[in-house]
This record gives sequence, C-alpha cells and structure tokens, in this order.
Amino acid sequence: MELKKLLQQWNSFPEVSMEERPVLSSDLEKIVVKNPLSDAFYLRKKLTLRIAILSVLWLYNIWQFRHQWLTQGNELYPQGALFVALAAALYFHVRLLLFADYPTLLALPLVNFLNKLETIVDKYIVAYKFVSALAGFYLLFGIEALLSRVSAGAYETLSNNNWYKWLILIFLSVSFDILLLHTIIPRQRKLLETVKRYRDGIHARAQNK
Amino acid sequence: MSNSTKKDGDTDLRSLLKTQHKKVYAICRLFANNYREHQHLFTNIIAAASQNIRTRKDNSDDKQTMLYRACINMAALHSIALAMEPAQDRGIQFKSPDFQRSMTNFRDTMGLISDAEKFRLFLELENISQEEMVHLTGIQFNNRNVASRKETEPVKKNFIPYLKEKLIWN
Repeated sequence: MELKKLLQQWNSFPEVSMEERPVLSSDLEKIVVKNPLSDAFYLRKKLTLRIAILSVLWLYNIWQFRHQWLTQGNELYPQGALFVALAAALYFHVRLLLFADYPTLLALPLVNFLNKLETIVDKYIVAYKFVSALAGFYLLFGIEALLSRVSAGAYETLSNNNWYKWLILIFLSVSFDILLLHTIIPRQRKLLETVKRYRDGIHARAQNK
Repeated sequence: MSNSTKKDGDTDLRSLLKTQHKKVYAICRLFANNYREHQHLFTNIIAAASQNIRTRKDNSDDKQTMLYRACINMAALHSIALAMEPAQDRGIQFKSPDFQRSMTNFRDTMGLISDAEKFRLFLELENISQEEMVHLTGIQFNNRNVASRKETEPVKKNFIPYLKEKLIWN
C-alpha cells in the first residue's frame, strides 16, 4: 500500500521542470571533465605536491649527507637521520597516493568506497607526523644557521654537542606536532569521524534489518 | 587512429549520459533538499559517472554499474559533506512550484529514513535485483522492501522470531 503510494508520487513528478531539465550537449562537455570530488575528499594534489617537495629535499639531503660523510662533519648524524626520515616520508606518501587510486575510487561498491575513504583520510592524518619530524630537522638547521651569524660562540657549543642538538630537535618536532594538532588536523579528524559515523550507520542499518 | 577511437568513446559516453540522466535525477530527488544542492549533486554524479566509465570501457552492462555506483557514492559523499556543515534549515525549497509540490508529497510519504534505506529505495525504483544491489553497494539488504517494512514494523515486535522459537522448543 505504502509502496504503491510512493510509486504513484514518484511517477507524478513533472516530466520536465527547472530542476529536471534535459541535459544539453554543451553542458555535458563541461561536466564530464570536472573533478567530482571536493577539496576535502580529493587529496591527490596535496599528496603530489608533498611528494615533489620531499623529492627535492631528499636529493639535496643526499648531497649534504655525502659531503658530511666525506668530511666527517659535525652534522653527519643529523643528516643521516634526516636522510632516513625523508626516505620514509617519501615512501609513505607515494604509497598513499598509489593506494588512493583516485580515478577508480568512485567506481567501488559503497561499503568498500567508504572503507577506502576512511583509510585515506586516516593515513593522511598520520602523514602529518612525518611533516612534524621533518619540520623539527629544518627548524634546527635554521636555528644553527641563525646562531652562526648572530653568535659564533653559541653556534660552536651547539654544533659540537650532539645531545643538545637531539634534545632541541625533539622539542621542535613535538612543538610543531602540537601546533598542527591544534590548527590543521582537527578539520581532518572531523572529516574522518563523519566518514566513520556514516559508514557505521550504513552497516548498522543494513544489519538491523 | 587512437584519436578517433578516443573521440568515439567520448561521444558514446556523452550519449549514454544523455539517455541515462533520469537515473541521476532520481537519486537527486532522494538526497537533495533545495535547488542548489540538486544541481550540485547532479553535476557531481555526472562527472563521477564519466570518470568511472572512462576507466572501464568493457561493455554496456559494466557502464550501467559504473553509473549506479557513481550515483550511490556521490550521494553518500553529499550526505557526509552536509553532516560536516553547521546545522541549518533543511526544508525542501525548489524553484519550480510543481516540482516543489511533488517533492514535498513524496518526502512526506517516504518519511525520515536512513541513507541505507534511501539507497535501497532508489535501487528498488530502478528495478534492480537483490544480487545486483549487493554488487552495487556491498550491503546485504533483506528481502522485504523499504515501504512494506515501514508498514509492518510495529507488528513485528509482537512476533517471536523464528530462531527464538526454535531454541525454546527444541
């Protein structure tokens, strides 16, 4: 009875209206080349940009690391650690981009699509940890460069004391991570929570029947 | 040669979308509450469908599946995006008076149902089989349709489920 009524009303919709007008070829030409995903869900550009930046930094780091290795410089261990961190970050981002596989993402069944979307957003949040760690390294190098110009004595003390360097590095990385946790990450977390809640809602409804 | 094949493929895709666009309007009726949302969702589904079909150029059945999956997935993203927005008036507001009336009547009859049920209703209205529904959504729906379940829901509580009966008496 109810379905009959629904069907009746479904069929009573006007054949043509301002809302449901026939699609023009000129409109279609513009629409088919449009990206269907909004910025919040489409992380491809951001990931590609990060990969490009990481690649450049990694290449520069390889050159610096080699130089430190050959001269047995004071920055050998920090440069070595940065080499490992950049390689890991690069691997993580490339893997995430390949996993996301945006051209085929919307062709998945709903449940798989939501699961994959959740994983992408979750891993993207994890990727910020790499950003924090790398920011710690580059801020440390920045402080060292500044000290070398402002106070040569302080620079000498710092560059000869590895313990200070590692402690400052940890402090800067953690501080940058806290900064991200209060600025950019909450938006991503909200998106992740909404996707999770939606997926759970779909599952719960399907299982309650 | 490859350019002409690509051009033919694009023409096929456009003609398919042109003939099937009513399916897209059908899901928009279930998920959009105003003109802006309706147009936005329609455009995004068409874009998603064309992207899906372009990635797989096997056969026409597959193209239908890709179109339905684009409809369902984009509608889900639409709901997620709305859930993230601050609370606002979600009343039905369309420009055309006839469409507004039809939409109000339809939504009143449909009542407040979950998105999973909306997807099922959409697929039922499109005469999609149970197996195909699972293939499209990955959700295991039961055999009774959405509307008849709404009707029998209060009565259901008075019956002892089959399994419980079995456990008590065996």
